[in-house]
Amino acid sequence: MAFASIYVPNFMVQTIVRAEPDLRDRAVALVDGCPPLWKIIAANEAALREGIELGMGGSQAQQFCKVEVRHRSPEQEKAAHAALLDVGWSVSPRIEDTAPDTIVLDLAGLTSLFESLENIAAILAERSCRVGVRPNIAVASNIEAAIHAARGFTGITLIPPGEEPERLSPLPVEVLLPSTEIFETLQRWGIRTCGALAALPVLQLSERLGAEGVLLHELAGGKYCRSLILAEPKTCFVEEMKLDYAITELEPLSFLLHRLLDQVCARLEARSLSASAFCLRFGLRDSVEEESEVKKKSSVSIGESRSYEKMLRLPVPMRDSKTLLKLLRLQLQSDPPNGSIVKIILTAEPARPRAGQKGLFVPDSPDREKLEVTIARIAGLVGNANVGSPQLVDTHRPGEFRMFPFSPASEESAGSRKRESTSRRTAIAFRMFRPEFLAQVESREGYPFRVGFRGARGNVIAASGPWRTSGDWWETHGWREDEWDVEIEFDSSGHKKSSHRGAQNGLYRIYYDWMRRGWFVRGRYD
Amino acid sequence: MYTELHARSAFSFLEGASLPEELAEACAEHGMRGMALLDRDGVYGAPRFYLAAKKIPIRAHIGAEVTSTAGWRYPLLVASRQGYQNLCRLITGMKLRAPKGKGNISAQEVAERTGGLICLTGGAEGPLAHALEHGGIENGIACARQLCDLFGPGNVYMELQRHLSREEEARNQASVHIARKLDLPLLATNGVCYALPRRRGTLDVFTCIRNHKTLASAGRLLALNSERYLKSPAKMERLFADLPEAIANTQELSSRLEFSLNDLGYKFPIYPVPDGETQMHFLRERSREGMIHRYGPSNERARVQIERELTIIEKLDLAGYFLIVWDIVRFCREQNILVQGRGSAANSAVCYALGITAVDPVGMDLLFERFLSEERGEWPDIDLDLPSGNQRERAIQYVYERYGKLGAAMTANVITYRGRSAAREIGKALSFDIETINRLTKLVGAWEYKDANDTLVHQFRDAGFDLQHPQIRKFFDLCLEVQDLPRHLGQHSGGLVVCQGQLDSVVPLEPATMPGRVVVQWDKDDCSVMGIVKVDLLGLGMMAVLEESLQIIKEHYAEEIDLGRLPANDPVIYEALQKADTVGMFQIESRAQMSCLPRLIPKCFYDIVVQVAIIRPGPIVGQMVNPYLKRRQGREPVDYLHPSLEPVLARTLGVPLFQEQLLRMAMIAAGFTGGEAEELRRAFGFKRSEVRMKAVEEKLRIGMDRNGIKPEVQDKIVRSITSFALYGFPESHAASFALIAYASAYLKCHYLPAFTAAILNNQPMGFYQPVTLLKDAQRHSLKVRPVDVTRSDWLCTLEKNDQDFALRLGMRSVHGLRVEIAHAIVNERAMSPFLSIDDLKLRVPAIQKSELTTLAKIGALNFIPGKSNFHRRDALWQVERAARRPGPLLETLEQGKEFATEPAQEWNVEKNNLDPAPALSPLQIMTVEERLVADFNGTGMTVGPHPMGYHRQRLKKQDVRSASELSSLPNGIHVRICGAVIARQRPGTAKGFVFLSLEDETGIANAIITPPIYEKYHLMIVHQPFLLIEGQLQNQENVISVKAEIVRPLSVTQAETSSHDFH
Repeated sequence: MAFASIYVPNFMVQTIVRAEPDLRDRAVALVDGCPPLWKIIAANEAALREGIELGMGGSQAQQFCKVEVRHRSPEQEKAAHAALLDVGWSVSPRIEDTAPDTIVLDLAGLTSLFESLENIAAILAERSCRVGVRPNIAVASNIEAAIHAARGFTGITLIPPGEEPERLSPLPVEVLLPSTEIFETLQRWGIRTCGALAALPVLQLSERLGAEGVLLHELAGGKYCRSLILAEPKTCFVEEMKLDYAITELEPLSFLLHRLLDQVCARLEARSLSASAFCLRFGLRDSVEEESEVKKKSSVSIGESRSYEKMLRLPVPMRDSKTLLKLLRLQLQSDPPNGSIVKIILTAEPARPRAGQKGLFVPDSPDREKLEVTIARIAGLVGNANVGSPQLVDTHRPGEFRMFPFSPASEESAGSRKRESTSRRTAIAFRMFRPEFLAQVESREGYPFRVGFRGARGNVIAASGPWRTSGDWWETHGWREDEWDVEIEFDSSGHKKSSHRGAQNGLYRIYYDWMRRGWFVRGRYD
Repeated sequence: MYTELHARSAFSFLEGASLPEELAEACAEHGMRGMALLDRDGVYGAPRFYLAAKKIPIRAHIGAEVTSTAGWRYPLLVASRQGYQNLCRLITGMKLRAPKGKGNISAQEVAERTGGLICLTGGAEGPLAHALEHGGIENGIACARQLCDLFGPGNVYMELQRHLSREEEARNQASVHIARKLDLPLLATNGVCYALPRRRGTLDVFTCIRNHKTLASAGRLLALNSERYLKSPAKMERLFADLPEAIANTQELSSRLEFSLNDLGYKFPIYPVPDGETQMHFLRERSREGMIHRYGPSNERARVQIERELTIIEKLDLAGYFLIVWDIVRFCREQNILVQGRGSAANSAVCYALGITAVDPVGMDLLFERFLSEERGEWPDIDLDLPSGNQRERAIQYVYERYGKLGAAMTANVITYRGRSAAREIGKALSFDIETINRLTKLVGAWEYKDANDTLVHQFRDAGFDLQHPQIRKFFDLCLEVQDLPRHLGQHSGGLVVCQGQLDSVVPLEPATMPGRVVVQWDKDDCSVMGIVKVDLLGLGMMAVLEESLQIIKEHYAEEIDLGRLPANDPVIYEALQKADTVGMFQIESRAQMSCLPRLIPKCFYDIVVQVAIIRPGPIVGQMVNPYLKRRQGREPVDYLHPSLEPVLARTLGVPLFQEQLLRMAMIAAGFTGGEAEELRRAFGFKRSEVRMKAVEEKLRIGMDRNGIKPEVQDKIVRSITSFALYGFPESHAASFALIAYASAYLKCHYLPAFTAAILNNQPMGFYQPVTLLKDAQRHSLKVRPVDVTRSDWLCTLEKNDQDFALRLGMRSVHGLRVEIAHAIVNERAMSPFLSIDDLKLRVPAIQKSELTTLAKIGALNFIPGKSNFHRRDALWQVERAARRPGPLLETLEQGKEFATEPAQEWNVEKNNLDPAPALSPLQIMTVEERLVADFNGTGMTVGPHPMGYHRQRLKKQDVRSASELSSLPNGIHVRICGAVIARQRPGTAKGFVFLSLEDETGIANAIITPPIYEKYHLMIVHQPFLLIEGQLQNQENVISVKAEIVRPLSVTQAETSSHDFH
């Protein structure tokens, strides 16, 4: 039995260096959070030597001119971890996904393929370097010994069977990842190495530290044996297509997309799954005109590709390729890629299929798939940010609301809302203009006297106000407005109603925006 | 003309954003003739508002918004003294029956106390708004009728506020309708919450703090706009142009509000004297008895002085006050509670004769007018120092018992937003995360002195924040804006007010957090200004040390020491003082005091009085320290500002050092009376105003002109008075403190074990950390023994050690150990010694694992098993098992016994659990460094050698000098010193210089850091616990220090030592 552990020290920093190999020999510190509240969460040795401390503010860290400060990237960490798994799977089919920075391989029977354990370790190290990380690799006869050796020793470590206690002995107990409480106890006892911990009498230790103490004792002695927790191959459904020629039109693209969707949906069906989301990625190549434009503006080389990504989140899991194609087409119509497509990557996020039954006497509502297509069509017309259900926001700011994704309510809640809406009575309705109209207002003695907007002008025959609101003063987008309710009689005299571009005599709400320094018409009272 | 009759100040605690003074000033700027302050459920800000208004002058109307049981508030205005008393009683009633900060009143309660009060219908939080919202116009009419029934139809005003809100205007329309229907007068107000529109941000932040929200999540809890500022009459007239009578009625109502705070009706309690005697006669008798006791029967000077004082006391009708203070002192004496008057009371021979003070003002020729004068028309101020803790509490409870719950109360202490509290709460409101808030909080107010490079931008940048960032800038601006605004009401540490009869009719009373305590809504200054007599019963740590020392001496040395009869001019004491060997001594232990002592070379008691007074900002800023010391050493001729001042300044060698001298200078040079001179001191004192100072200075100069003093001499006199009045010490106060300093020095020099035990038992107090006190005592040959659960009590105790006593550290010094656990340990071991740690755990079951661990870690359990080789790690090994007892199964296995063969009856858990001779552990003994870390971590000190001591050999090789060596080295040589930083100071008066005290195993060395060196080594100086400093040795008149040129961190120990910083 032999196991190899791959451990990537200072994982978060290494993932950044992997993406920017130029940083390999430089001092690097990672920040997390948004300015001004950003902090150093990881740093390499060189950065620590420069005086960087974990927890330090981002601005403070930027004062260290020799230190490269980068933002933490969970995506790159994920990618690096996937790469680490790939390295593992490239050697052994039996892998444990121990932690983001650690994996364990079962090497049973592999010596016949790779000659020796030393060779395997060297291959793993070499392949890891190729995917951009520099790990510690340890091979031992049990999983935990391999993990701890990888955590504690730099480079490649091979522990012959039976030598685990001696080899692990000098390692600090921290590599065993004891709980904080036990770690503090060990510190108080002066137990700082695995060897010292392993030398303690186990029965007395169990009395003092319980089961965790016994486990740590075994771990420290390199004796603890357990089974590998096999990592399942990812249930990630990706279909990818490289194109011999670039596509710029939607129709031929739809044809290809349909094919890909069919394949993905068939795979999903085989696994009895649906998809909750699709990620569509295009590799793009700049057009000739664009290329020349880019050349003028920057030093980006022509051959450098760009990408385009579109995420399609589905309100319910689906695998109907026709519907999905319609949705994707609508998305692409509203936001087409800026370049010709040379590569298509379609990734489906698997989910359990939808199962449900409507009430027998409940009237049929639109099919969810169809509804989603309709909403997507509307979004294509008005923009994604303008589709959904408006909800009021708790603020004094006039007319403020937010859009939340539209989600049809259940039958019961719809009924209760109906009841609620009939019980509310409104004396006067206010019709809000969105966006508001720019207005020209003449004032006399502080009161609006003449108002003009949308090409019509009229006299104010009654005014009430100002109604003043202000707020969000701590933000950059604070507001301060003086509203007036005014009755306007437009100049097309003699007529009760002016038909001039919709400006009708009546009661309007106008306001002076102190930030924009201008008058606007907010709406009209019905 | 408009008068604002509904304004809240910041004393509405988080519901107002301007101080009363700011409101009054804004009022004056607008030319308003008066204003009414209606704070929430109290008259907290009333005295400050009244005083500010009096200066301007405008009329200060008083009132309050009183919370009803339904949650809305009655806006009540006080029309007469009866109304004020009713308001105070209403508030007192609601406050005293509810938890702190809560309370409300029912309509029935209001009905009983409406006389002299005028009720407004209120704004959004008033009764009418509530009624309209919950039942429309009909309900509104009913509400207005109910208010008319309660307060009388002429005493209800229909309040209209216009903050440019539609909802409010709709309410106003309804209010006008109701007013017309019920024939109620309309009244315009602005429901003011702050003086200026820009204060709205502060109010929004307060709203967030009150509702535990952030600005981002507070939504409509925040203000609609910024219209609640104090508007000018013209603005208000424009706003209410359609309802001019609402404006006119403000003037009419203002004229009806006759009450002013100068009409409180406060009376000091009458001291109960035997039948047929007057208070004055009784006081004369007590004074006479005291005079004979203090001065003997034939001291004519004392008799004359006492008679003069009694005449003034009689004239001012203050006999009762003196008798009440005398009564408290008498109680303390009877109860063996140390007590001593401090402050200006020590200028009074009557106080001395009555035993209130311990300094002889006749012998010291102290100025009585500093204490009391006919002109001032103020109550005298007597402060009593008592041992802090229980003894002081007993004295306070005595006053409560004697004058009843509504006859005595503590003065309040208004807790205001200061640097750190402001930063913390504003950070929260701005949604900063905890870590950021902590980092920002640390930035605030670290050093007393700020130089040009210490700008906030610099400090913020150092901490990783960009002040240009809008959010950080907003944080900073808000922090500045909320400075000094009230946060909540606390309790003053010792100020007690007493009253004849009902104190609750003079000022509302509230429950304090401490059970059984009642506080008034005003702080001590407000009480004093309002003419309410207070007696300060102050807790002084050193008094507690003295009292405890005497007790220990009595127990162990079998000697009774009377602090009133200590041997005068004890040479041992003066030798210690001259060597600046004063660690732990009252008022003369600080680094600054120590650096002055070898130059002043005290030889008599008066020198200690000078010593106490001279290291103060007044003499330092006034540049009086060096001239005095030089004159004392004969290096500068004694010179007087004017020959006529010689009698006043002779004993301080021509240099004014005390406030009394300032007063006398004014009396002699400008012919001021005693009262005028005291007025002068106040004009130049803490609350100085330019106008007042100018007026007094003019008067002073006229007087000096009259006496023929030349203008250049006048300038000198004025300058010395100006710079000195702010921070100077009264001589009487210095003398009172000097007495305590002398007593502490006496006990330290002659009874070091007892004194050290007492001072450690009363920590925290004084200038040094316990470890410094301990190390100093050890250097003076005191044997100190560590905490030991088989011997230590909760407090430090003395143990016989050959001819002398050794100090046994008490369990009080063990971090995290609860007092009840320590007492349980002591009680259990008194019954029978502990056999093992298991035994201890079994007999003191409440002891927690963390407590046992700490005890084991510091070696306090080493002596339980009675094995000489049992060490701390053995104890830690046992503790871990004791804290987690195994079941009987494992117990048996451990002992190698077979479960099956054990007879069932022997399964006595208790017996089996006890391990009379526990095996030693498999653990290694702690290293010296580990023990040091454990000691400092567990107790903040070590009884073993000083951490520096372990490194002396290494340091010697690096040519590092020990603290004790420095005195033998010549001035000017280049030296290296190092040690644990025990004090870092950057006094405001020192122009950016930083003073460090470095302690090693031989003593304390001082280092001076110049501003450039500080700039260079800033972070190291502030953060490093051990420093190595290279620089030039300065040995001037036995004052030794090293002027730093290079500062380096020193790696000595990981132990967490602590220091006294930045004061």
